[in-house]
Order: sequence, then structure tokens, then C-alpha cells
Amino acid sequence: MSERILEIRGLNKYFGPTHANKNIDFDLDQGEIRGIIGENGSGKSTLLSQIAGLYGSDSGTMKLNGKPYAPKSPLDANSSGIAMVLQELGVVGGLPAAVNVYLGHTGRFAKGGIVSLKDMAQAAYDECDKWNLPKVDMTERLEGTGIETRKMVELVRALSVDPQILILDEVTQSLSLNNRNRLYELIKRFKEMGRSILLITHDVEEMLEITDTVTVLRDGEVIGTVKSAEVKPEDIRTMMVGRDMSGSYFRDDHTPTYRDEVILKMDNVTSEFGEISDISFEVHAGEILGFCGLSDSGIHTVGEVAYGLTKIRSGKVTLEQQGVEITSATTALNSRAGYVPKDRDNQALMINASIRDNFALPSAKELRGAAGIISGGKVNALSWKMKDKMSVKARNIFQPMNALSGGNKQKVNLGRWLAKDLQLLILDCPTRGVDVGVKAYIYQLMKDAKEQGIAMILISDELTEVLGMSDRLIVMKDGKMKKIIRRDEEFTEHSVIGEMI
Amino acid sequence: MDTKANSNAAAPTKKKMGNLTFAIIFIVAVAVIFFLLNLLSGGIFLDGSNIKLILSHSIYPTFVAWALCFLFACGYTDMSLGGVLVLGSFASCLLGNMIGYPGVIIGGLVVGLILVFINFTIFAFTGIPSWIAGISLGLIYEALAVIIKGSKSIGKLVDTDLASEYRALGQLPGSVILLLAAMVVIYFVYNRTTIGLNIRAMGGNKEVARAMGINIVKTLIAVGVICGIIIGVGCIIQQSTNVRTTVKTGLTSMNMVFQPIAVVLLAQILERKINIIIAVPICSFFLYAIFNMLTIMHVPAGTLQDTCLGAFLVLFGIIGNWGYRGIVK
Repeated sequence: MSERILEIRGLNKYFGPTHANKNIDFDLDQGEIRGIIGENGSGKSTLLSQIAGLYGSDSGTMKLNGKPYAPKSPLDANSSGIAMVLQELGVVGGLPAAVNVYLGHTGRFAKGGIVSLKDMAQAAYDECDKWNLPKVDMTERLEGTGIETRKMVELVRALSVDPQILILDEVTQSLSLNNRNRLYELIKRFKEMGRSILLITHDVEEMLEITDTVTVLRDGEVIGTVKSAEVKPEDIRTMMVGRDMSGSYFRDDHTPTYRDEVILKMDNVTSEFGEISDISFEVHAGEILGFCGLSDSGIHTVGEVAYGLTKIRSGKVTLEQQGVEITSATTALNSRAGYVPKDRDNQALMINASIRDNFALPSAKELRGAAGIISGGKVNALSWKMKDKMSVKARNIFQPMNALSGGNKQKVNLGRWLAKDLQLLILDCPTRGVDVGVKAYIYQLMKDAKEQGIAMILISDELTEVLGMSDRLIVMKDGKMKKIIRRDEEFTEHSVIGEMI
Repeated sequence: MDTKANSNAAAPTKKKMGNLTFAIIFIVAVAVIFFLLNLLSGGIFLDGSNIKLILSHSIYPTFVAWALCFLFACGYTDMSLGGVLVLGSFASCLLGNMIGYPGVIIGGLVVGLILVFINFTIFAFTGIPSWIAGISLGLIYEALAVIIKGSKSIGKLVDTDLASEYRALGQLPGSVILLLAAMVVIYFVYNRTTIGLNIRAMGGNKEVARAMGINIVKTLIAVGVICGIIIGVGCIIQQSTNVRTTVKTGLTSMNMVFQPIAVVLLAQILERKINIIIAVPICSFFLYAIFNMLTIMHVPAGTLQDTCLGAFLVLFGIIGNWGYRGIVK
């Protein structure tokens, strides 16, 4: 029988009047891979942050290897063998990747007070080799790098302290399929080494596949812990939300259904820096056109190009109904197009502004009065309406965005576009970091938008998502279109993966 | 995601080659510009004595700009630095004239260090936005300077010239030797010490820094100490170069920091190619060369020269950001 490594009894955490975690009892064995799941705001991240030393506890006890454990800081937790990759912490863009890996421990590489950046980069490369992770250029500063690179640096940072317990808070959803597989390999190795992992993901199927046990939280309380092999995804969803969630939340039809009129046409497009080349496709009114591919496939660049955010070297992107060529995001916005980027905190939302301002931003033009002045009353009305329509959990529309959970942020991010009369909506990983309840809600919104004739480009790292929602699916590889598959053709994970690799 | 498993060994070499190419282009471009300026000025610009003049005038702003690099790196602003420079220069003059070089050095260093340390302690413990606290402190330091100057006992001792035999640190070659020595030390502190990296981490993303166990208060106070020492040296150079320091009121002491700010802005533009600590003296020299040229061309000092400075900054900004890719997916 495995030895108990972590034992938690009666743990409580308050944030002002909010009782975030209520009398949590929790055990973890050596070599156990434990999934933690719950709706957004259920207390998962708070619990793991308490274990990782980010938050203190208001009451309760923790024992690590049988000894009292009360980390005062993440560094303290690191020295006890616990490290965490956080959902939305990030990196310091102005510092090289290697310094980000060893931040707080840079003294390890100092001789006579002078830190050797070369030794530090080498140590980071060695860490990547040790865990078979893709190598990031450790000498380069991280500003301008994509979310996946930054997440990989955070993972190497956590592994660099040689943890006995590794905590992964929604890491997989930032990774593309190939790097996700590498992470699964890492998890297996961790288990073989007798080390433990605590993992949060909103992908129930994925969680059941890679974990030994799953603990479900709801409203800050432990609902139960089950063995992954003995439950079905529907059981977990029901435990999470407290009601029956059986049935698929994807589309249940098997034929592409869309109108004839072409909304957007991309004609032999090559992006300025060559991330995508020679891309041609059309997306029709009422169509969901999916894009999938591995990390260097360029799928995310397709979305940026379609919205005019990335310049093109050759080719043309046109909104066919108006004959407007998209050369900038302003042109796209003014032509009734919307874009929901993957990196919601850095590229989509004004994170320190209010919910109200975020809802109103894309509709500023429509909210202007006769004299060109934006009407405060109209802004408030729109924001309240969308807050209610999207079921955003917040006290009021004046609450800052950074106080919301990931799922509620995404509701605002998506809702502000749905408040407009759109003809095209580009969605890049729209369900990243949201729970099953919000996911189901977003898919329903997409179905409604499809009914209304809105053309959608759905870019996703989740194969089940693009397969579940798209009319046609474009598989990309190395910046080029590999294959277009219709919903009524061989529309399976197996066939798509075969094209991706 | 960059899967660069096989390209990592080649990456640093490629980067070094890129930097070398940039350095060559940069040097050639500067040489061409200076040659053209020399032609325009009828040979005055590249005259040995003129180059010495530019060099000696670029030392003081270089030190203040280095202090600003640390300040900006940690994400704070300090609007009182002009006031600190006035008081530090007073102390350097007062003690210098009393006890010679030890007084010049101790006066500037101690006052610079103590006052900037006080500033950062206030920033760290009060939670007042640094620009607001800085303005308040700047007004206090200016008032203090006025009181000292008006004082019957020491007023005349500070409102006087630093004795000519103690001015070597503001004159060539002493000032250049000091600059080179300081550049080596500051380069290592900024780029190669734990405290330097922590300062930059704090300015880059305070939450990450905190989560990685970096003590924000201690780091902020360390910035105060480092900036204080550099500003202290700036006081010494200032007094030794300009000989006498005048009292400033109504926050006009901030004028003493404007040109160093322009130097840092220029250096930040070059930062992607040249380390900012090395870029600062280069930019300082370049900036003062431009001012010098404008003076030779009889462009009136003040507004017109400042307009030219603004235009150069914009031009450099455009060149520096040419082809920058921003976020890469």
C-alpha cells in the first residue's frame, strides 16, 4: 500500500466575506495522480494555492509526510518538495526564459555574487532533456512569445525544484496536442518515480484518462473522491453541478448545414512572417468552420489574419457580402466581424477595467449619441442586459474583470461580441479554462449564432470541440492546409490525428 | 510552441552574429552621421576639443540615466531626484571645499544615498503611488535647499564654486575613468546579480516575482540603495563639472532629470540589440553630440533644441521598432 504524502484536515479560507474553502479534508498518496474538478469558482485553485504556499489558511491543518506543513510562501513550499504551475500567473517578459525558470533561486548560479546566465540556461536545457519537454530558447527574453512557450517555461520552473508533489492548474488547455502528449508522458514518469500530481483540468474525459482518482469540489466543499477507472464523465459532471448533466453538449447532427452566401474568403494568403502560407478557404453564413493542428501548424495565425491583426505578405482576405478587404482589425470591426483570442487576459480583456467597460468596448460606435458622445445610460443598459443574458456571476457591472473567475471572464469576452449584430465571429479556443457548465453554455451560444446565420471560424486545440461543433474542419500542418473534412465524411479523431501528424 | 530541440546550440551563435551585424551597422551609421555633421559644421564638430567637450558633458546624464534604468526596471517613478541632485551637489561642494576630495565624494554619496533610500522606504511602506510621493518629497527637498542657501551659517558655503583643485572627477580623463569603472559595476549589478534580476522581475510582473518568493519590500529598498549610490556619484560629477549648483523651486529641479530621461528612452529603443546599461552612455554621448551640433549651427538653446530632441526621439523610436513582431503565437 502506498504511503500517505499529504493529509489535510478542516482547511478553511476566507476572502473577505467569501468563504472560499469550507472544512476541506483531503488525502494524497505517494505516486498518486489526483484530479481536482469543479465549476469555476468552486475553490479548486484556492485549495491548490493553499497547498503551494500562495495563500495562507484561516484554520485547519496540513501534514506532509506525516509532519505539520504550513508553507509561508511558494518558496517555502518548494523547499518542502511542492511546486505549482498556476493557471494565470505568467512570466516576466523582460527577462530571459532561463531567469524565469530559476526566479527566486538565481543565487544557485552565482559565483562571487555574479550570476552565470550561461550556466542557468544550460541547467534549464538539462531540465527540459530530463523530462523530455520541448526546448525553448532559454537565452531569449519571453516578451513576444506565445502562451504555449510561456506555459512550458512555467512547467520547467516547477520541475526545476525537483518536486515530490507537482500541482498543475489547467496547464493542458494551453498546450497543443503534441505537447499535451509530452505532458502525459511526464505525468506517467512522475507516477513511476513514486511522486504525486495534483491536476486541475476542465476536460473531464482527459482527467479520467490520466488520473488515478478525482476529487470533486462544489461551492468550496469536497463533494467526494472517486476512482477514475470506476466512473463515467457524466457522473463527474453531475457531481460537479449537482444536477443531471447526461447527454452530449456538442451538436448531434452529422451533416454540414449552412447557407450558400460566402461571408469571408481567404485567397492564397501568406502571413508577413510566414507562420501560414498559401491559405485559401471560404466560410459561409451559418457555418462553423473548424481549424485544428499541432503547435507549429499556424491555426492561431489564421484567426489573427482573418481579423486583420497579423499582416499578410501575399493574398487577400475579403468579406464577400460587402466586398471589403480586411487589412486591419478596424476594418474587420467596422464590417461586423468579431474576434475572441486564445489569450483572454493579455489579448482580449481590459483586465483592470470594469465588466461594464469590457462589455461596451466593441459596441462603442453603436453606443454613441447624436453629438458623438457615448451615452452612460446606454452603456449601463447594454452591460446589465449582457451580464444577465450571459449569467455572469458578479455583484454588479462595475466590478473589475480581474475579480472574476476564468469562466465568467470568458462569458464577458464572448458576450461583448454577441451583443453586436455580427456577420462573422472568430473564436480561438473559446472554452479554454472554463468548466463544463460554461462550456455547455458557450456551445449553445454557438449553436444559436449558427441559427442566426453568423459565420464562425472555430480554432481549437481540443479535437473533440472542433469535431463536435464544426460543419467543415480544416486540418493544418506546418502552416499549410493539409485537408478539409466535411461533417458527413470521415469526421473522427483518428482520421484527423492521422492528417495532423 | 517552439520545438527547438535541435536548434538550441545554434541559436546563441545566430544571436551573436545578429548582434555583431547590428553593432557594425550602428557604428558605420554613427560614423557617417558624424562625418556629415562635421562637413556641415565646417570641421568644428569632429575637432578634438569639441569631442572632449561633448564627452565631458555626457558623463553626468549617463549616471542619472543609469539610476533611472533601475527605477524604471522596478516599475516606479521618482520625481524628487532633481531635488536630491541639488542637495547632494550642495553637500559635495560644502564638504569638498572643507576637506578636499574625501569631502567631494562623501558629501555627494552620503546625501544621495540617504535621500533616495528615504524615498524608496516611503514607497515601500506607505503604499502611496510613487509619482505622488516623489512630487511631495521633491518639493520638500527643494524647500530644504532654499533654507540651506538662505541660512546665515552655511548659505554662502554651498552657493559657491567648488575649488578648482577638487574638480578632477568632473573633468577628463578622471570622469571617463569613473564612468568606465561604474559601467562595469552597474552592468554586472543590473544583469548578473540576483538583486538585479529580482528588481527587473518585480517591475516586469510583481505577482510572478512575489509568487517566486522575491521579497518585494526588500527588493524595493535595494533599488533605493543602488539608485542612491548612482545618484550620489551623479551629484559629485554634477558639482565637479558645473562647479556651482543653483537652487530650484516649484519642481524646476526636475529639469535636471529631463535629458537623462531622454537618454533612457533612446537606450530603451536600442535595448533589443544592445544591453541598456551599455546603451546609456552611447545614447548620452549621441544626444549631447546632437545638442552640440545644434549649438554650432546657431540653433537657439531651449525650445528649438528641445523640439529637435523630440524629433530625434520619434525618429529613433520608428527605427528601433522597425520589423518588430510583437506577440508570436
